[in-house]
Amino acid sequence: MSTVIEVSGLSKRFGKVVALDDVSFSVGENKICGLLGRNGAGKTTLMQLLTGQQFATSGTIEIFGRSPVETASVLERICFIKESQTYPEDFSVKHVFTSAPWFFSGWDASFAEQLIDDFRIPTNRRVKKLSRGQLSAVGVVVGLASRAPLTFFDEPYLGLDAVARQTFYDRLLEDYAKHPRTVILSTHLIDEVSNLLEHVIVLDQGRVIIDGAADDVRSSATTVVGPRGAVDAFVGDRAALSRQGVGGLASVTIHALTSDERHAAGDAGLELSPVSLQQLIIHRTNSSSREFEQSA
Amino acid sequence: MTIDARARRPATSGALTRIVNVARLHLTQKGPLLVLPWLILGFILLVNLLIWWILASALPPADRVDAADSMQFSGASTFIFVYMLVVAVQAINATFPFALGYGVTRRDFYLGSSLTFVLLSLYYSLGMTLLAELERATGGWGLGVAMFDVVFFDADTPLQRFALFLLAFLFFFFVGAATAAVYVRWRSRGMLVFFAALALIAVGLAWLATDTGSWPLIGGWFTENGALGVAVWSLVPSTAAAVAGLVLIRGATPRT
Repeated sequence: MSTVIEVSGLSKRFGKVVALDDVSFSVGENKICGLLGRNGAGKTTLMQLLTGQQFATSGTIEIFGRSPVETASVLERICFIKESQTYPEDFSVKHVFTSAPWFFSGWDASFAEQLIDDFRIPTNRRVKKLSRGQLSAVGVVVGLASRAPLTFFDEPYLGLDAVARQTFYDRLLEDYAKHPRTVILSTHLIDEVSNLLEHVIVLDQGRVIIDGAADDVRSSATTVVGPRGAVDAFVGDRAALSRQGVGGLASVTIHALTSDERHAAGDAGLELSPVSLQQLIIHRTNSSSREFEQSA
Repeated sequence: MTIDARARRPATSGALTRIVNVARLHLTQKGPLLVLPWLILGFILLVNLLIWWILASALPPADRVDAADSMQFSGASTFIFVYMLVVAVQAINATFPFALGYGVTRRDFYLGSSLTFVLLSLYYSLGMTLLAELERATGGWGLGVAMFDVVFFDADTPLQRFALFLLAFLFFFFVGAATAAVYVRWRSRGMLVFFAALALIAVGLAWLATDTGSWPLIGGWFTENGALGVAVWSLVPSTAAAVAGLVLIRGATPRT
């Protein structure tokens, strides 16, 4: 498997604010990768660095083997759809779809037409007059129809209703199956996209706290549920990601168990349940901010 | 069976194609760039004709010649140059983050924008030259009105006049481009520093000219060089602005 994105020791500071702190990871070709994290975690900054829009303070970025900054051969293979995309003054939707093919050699006009129908985008309207959801839909259509070998979606669904979001996920998967490419998707709606993702990177306060295959990440933790006494006895001094209790019942999320340990839990009358990606990320980002506060 | 090589897309496009595509992006909307300015200019001409008609009917014939002479200093056509400065500012400022999202390098964006400005300068210089010639041929639209054939664009031949307009348009376009580049690079703080510096330099030069008593010399330089000579000299600030714009844009980042 060849690598499309290779980041090492990447840091970005804006004055005194550290947006990214020593970030290293790589993304393989033709993966759908989720870039997750809370607001202000550094997701947008990271995407801007990966697309050559921002300049790194230190560290290296290689996209298709080269630095993206001012490298036309790299950048013309990238499409970056961001939530806050601004359009040229007085552009109408039509203008966006007329001009996009000049910049994306893989542009599929009939696919774009189909998507415009799917999302019911009024093509004669000025971009400025679009609703928030329609504006997001325009970005989604450009991102999908451009078929860029490396596509970034930064919170692409803002203002899109549930139906439109599902349409986006469906079309993305269908088209990805026919035309494999690397997609980086940053989002808050973790559970919604959970099934799309093969690779998950979680940022928290400018650092990578999770980086791995989505399945590995999901199975990296489990929740033990049962009578408080039995749960506490079983968990012992294992590190707990989260702990909740109602009456005599307790539910504790801990790191993945070996199969022997799972049997032991069963014998102790405890129930084991999987942890959703969203819950896991909530636990992990909460615990890392607690650690941060303690060390501060 | 042979495969038609033209049917296959090149893996990477040439630099020229990329630059031309940026120019196409700027020219996507034809109306406000290519048509609207002429309509506004037409309206200004109409108003000028009306005012002249009112004046002429009120003035005794002896004073009309005086009034016609002073119209040689009409700044009515200045509008189009300021409009083009604004066009350049808008083109750079509003299209920069958009083009970057389309995977355009800053360099290609700036060169494509510059190409657009040169093409627009040619287009408007041609139009202005035609209007000036028409004005001269019709004896000031039949009423002795001067709007295009004025002292600032005084030239012996239509070709010289075209060159004059072209140099003037290039100046306004690239001053606009450089100013927008300062904004795109440093935002409002950059604008404040830029205009403060500009004001200080202007005042400084004015003081220098006054202190050394060289105002007559400066005036003499303008009359000596004539309109065309001054216009050719404008290539110095125009080129400086164009280069400064490129340097500034290459370090600029889109607003988050």
